[in-house]
Amino acid sequence: MIDRESTFADPEIVSFIKTKTVPVAIDQWNQRRQKDSEGDFYRKIAGQGPRNDFDGTTQGLYLAAPDGTLLGYTNNRNPDRVMQFFKESMAKFRPANTKSLAVETEDRKYVIRPPEGGLVIRVQAKVLDGYEQTDDKFIQIFQAAVSRDNLWITAAEQQQLAAGKFPERLTVRIARHCLVDNTRGEAPAWKEADIVSAKIKITGGKITGHCEMKLADGSRSYSADVLGEIEFKDSHVSTLNMVAKGMYFGSGPYTPNAPKGKFPLAVSFTLADGKDIADAVPPEGARGWVADYLR
Amino acid sequence: MKRIVLLLAALTVTSWTSLSAAGLSDAEFRKLHAELQPDNSALWRTVPWKISVLDGQQKAAEEKKPLFIWAMDGHPLGCT
Repeated sequence: MIDRESTFADPEIVSFIKTKTVPVAIDQWNQRRQKDSEGDFYRKIAGQGPRNDFDGTTQGLYLAAPDGTLLGYTNNRNPDRVMQFFKESMAKFRPANTKSLAVETEDRKYVIRPPEGGLVIRVQAKVLDGYEQTDDKFIQIFQAAVSRDNLWITAAEQQQLAAGKFPERLTVRIARHCLVDNTRGEAPAWKEADIVSAKIKITGGKITGHCEMKLADGSRSYSADVLGEIEFKDSHVSTLNMVAKGMYFGSGPYTPNAPKGKFPLAVSFTLADGKDIADAVPPEGARGWVADYLR
Repeated sequence: MKRIVLLLAALTVTSWTSLSAAGLSDAEFRKLHAELQPDNSALWRTVPWKISVLDGQQKAAEEKKPLFIWAMDGHPLGCT
């Protein structure tokens, strides 16, 4: 989030990326583990940088020649430093004929695609109130953040929706993976045991429900009402707009600095049309174990 | 008089319950749904990101350009 709103909100940086490079955005959690052509090529590049222990994060910005030669690396987010990184790295680049690499192997544990005949739903969350005022522009970015994740729905679940039934496992998936405060970073998903109650139903095109999750020690909780609308065309979902809103409490290891006490959090759900590049990104909850995510 | 007092008491309880339940009205649903959408004017959205390093390598080889990789914990275009 902070990168999208700071480094990649800088016109000079964005112009440089668009005109001088081929830009790629990845969750390196996958690539550094993948035992396939994609993982091999990524590790070849990242292995030349300072973060070459693939048991840990290799997060950062890399510039590399098409043959995999690393030209530069930084994990700094200051726009001036990033621009300096681009200029210094680019100075080492010599255009040359390079062979395109084919996808010879694919590690299906990490290369996952939306379920065939299913749906992709955009999920966005926002803390509505409760933050203390600050003059720090980076903290302000987090406080105003609207997060983004995706929800996958299977073909069988779409059929149930068309029959007027909100699938129980879909409700659980929404409660566990979507009703989280991920506005300041990666949020921990709820475990099924954390779900106190989760009920969502469809009545005449209207979606209503309520979900409540709580950790056993009380250190994190969310209780939200759900309201939305759903429409169908030829037994397929053509519109799905939904909002969950309620009071959230607590934070996770990567989402510190939540408002004190309980605070209002809203989560929106919208049927994706595939026009946004982020529609192709797998849900955070499917990371490493898509079968469990979709069960 | 007794009836009015009971009515006022009932209204007070109803109002308190409604507020404490953090209910969601139809108008609020529409307002929040419109508010919680991608900002299509954001500069980073104008970048033609690829989400596979090999896809990027193929285009970089073809165009003789370097490959820029934005590698994060969690997907940079989503996740948070």
